[in-house]
Amino acid sequence: MECPNFIRFFTSNLDVQESDVSDLLNQCERLTIKKNYVLLNQGEFSKHTFFVEKGLLRQFALNENGKEHILSFAPENWLVTDRDSAYFNQPSIYSIQALEDSLVVLIDQSFIDKLTQLVPGFTAYNNRLLHNHIRHLQDRIGLLLSATAEERYLNFVQMYPDVLMRVPQTMVASYLGITPESLSRVRKEIAHKKSE
Amino acid sequence: METKIVELIASPREPHFVGDGFRVHNFIPSGYRMDMRRMNPFIMLDYNSKFVFPATNTPKGVGVHPHRGFETVTIAYKGRVQHHDSSGGGGIIGEGDVQWMTAASGVLHKEYHEREWSKTGGEFQMVQLWVNLPKKDKMSTPKYQAIKYDEIPRVKLEDGESHVEVIAGEYEGVKGAAFTFTPVHMLNARLKNKGKASFNFPAHYNTVILVVEGSVFVNGTEVVPTDHMVLMANEGEVFEVEASEDSLVLILSGEPIDEPIASHGPFVMNTQEELVEAFNDFNHGKFGTLAD
Repeated sequence: MECPNFIRFFTSNLDVQESDVSDLLNQCERLTIKKNYVLLNQGEFSKHTFFVEKGLLRQFALNENGKEHILSFAPENWLVTDRDSAYFNQPSIYSIQALEDSLVVLIDQSFIDKLTQLVPGFTAYNNRLLHNHIRHLQDRIGLLLSATAEERYLNFVQMYPDVLMRVPQTMVASYLGITPESLSRVRKEIAHKKSE
Repeated sequence: METKIVELIASPREPHFVGDGFRVHNFIPSGYRMDMRRMNPFIMLDYNSKFVFPATNTPKGVGVHPHRGFETVTIAYKGRVQHHDSSGGGGIIGEGDVQWMTAASGVLHKEYHEREWSKTGGEFQMVQLWVNLPKKDKMSTPKYQAIKYDEIPRVKLEDGESHVEVIAGEYEGVKGAAFTFTPVHMLNARLKNKGKASFNFPAHYNTVILVVEGSVFVNGTEVVPTDHMVLMANEGEVFEVEASEDSLVLILSGEPIDEPIASHGPFVMNTQEELVEAFNDFNHGKFGTLAD
């Protein structure tokens, strides 16, 4: 199965030949999965980071009352992993599920090691990705602690412009930490402002 | 009857060599969601996708090594393999043949490209599979079933040109050639373009499809290219495979053996103690002798 996004992800950011990335890609598992398939269950162990070649994943947790909380969405070109499991050998605290039919590439430590060896600049790039991810989480904590529902929603639209059209509103509300009713109200208010 | 749905479709990963004669992609147990517990009774599947071995006077293969606690099954699609084991079993298998070795209490064996075939070399393609044994049979006497292509029962399909070969288990009431210890269905479907076969296995049976030649649709929608493996979900019973070009697919479905698995290298037992015993027995020459 062809993975042009995966190859472009590395060739456009690193000084690396397409054929080298292609060779590394062949060492990775690639899985085609159906909508709703749970790639990782809360409590399971996985050493993998999932690259979304096609489709859409979500990372979420169920609390004791059975309520879902969505930590992130991962459309094409996003990476998603449960760090407890992948880096600290703990059972995963999040589940990862396909929201659309998807094609995912499974990245493991040996891939990272080989790429590091092949491309001297990879470590610096990977650090930058990591810092960017922490910045995103920082922003997200800030929004959850102090922002209004409208601010959270506008940030989401900016972050995930196409995801908005691809998932049910209840999931957007769950990601934002607001009720579906609040989300509906915010959307109406924004539409109203625009039409004024 | 419910439709058995596709759980996932796995691409083959970079192959590695087993000895110097088998260039394989491992699917079971290293594939995602394809560990021994999930796939039981199929506890190992190495797939040598089509690969050209050059001519040589020294046959390539794997030297003497032990097995205990399961069966090894080799399905030859291209090329010829010669096998010897310490229980006196042995033989040569070629295109379409199957070698079914019950290692059980323990054998030493070795497998090589057949000497004459090696001299010319050519396309080589095989599946090597380990089928688990239930506790009560793990220490039974080793045996060997050599199954020639001509002896494998066939079931003609609707189009009159495609057919299913029943290596083990059953298809449409036709029983397979091999004896199995637990319920295992092992079928090669040779489908002409647009040829269709439907299958019906209990929901809890662990089921995979390997596309050896061509490409197929599973349940009408899932496209599966050559050398890819489909893991079917443990839900539903019935599924359909339709060829989108002339194709050959291997279908495996087996009842899980609901017993603990302890495995290390060439031994697959139920407990750690039994593994230690297997190593001791091997080190003390209790697996017999076999010259290199």
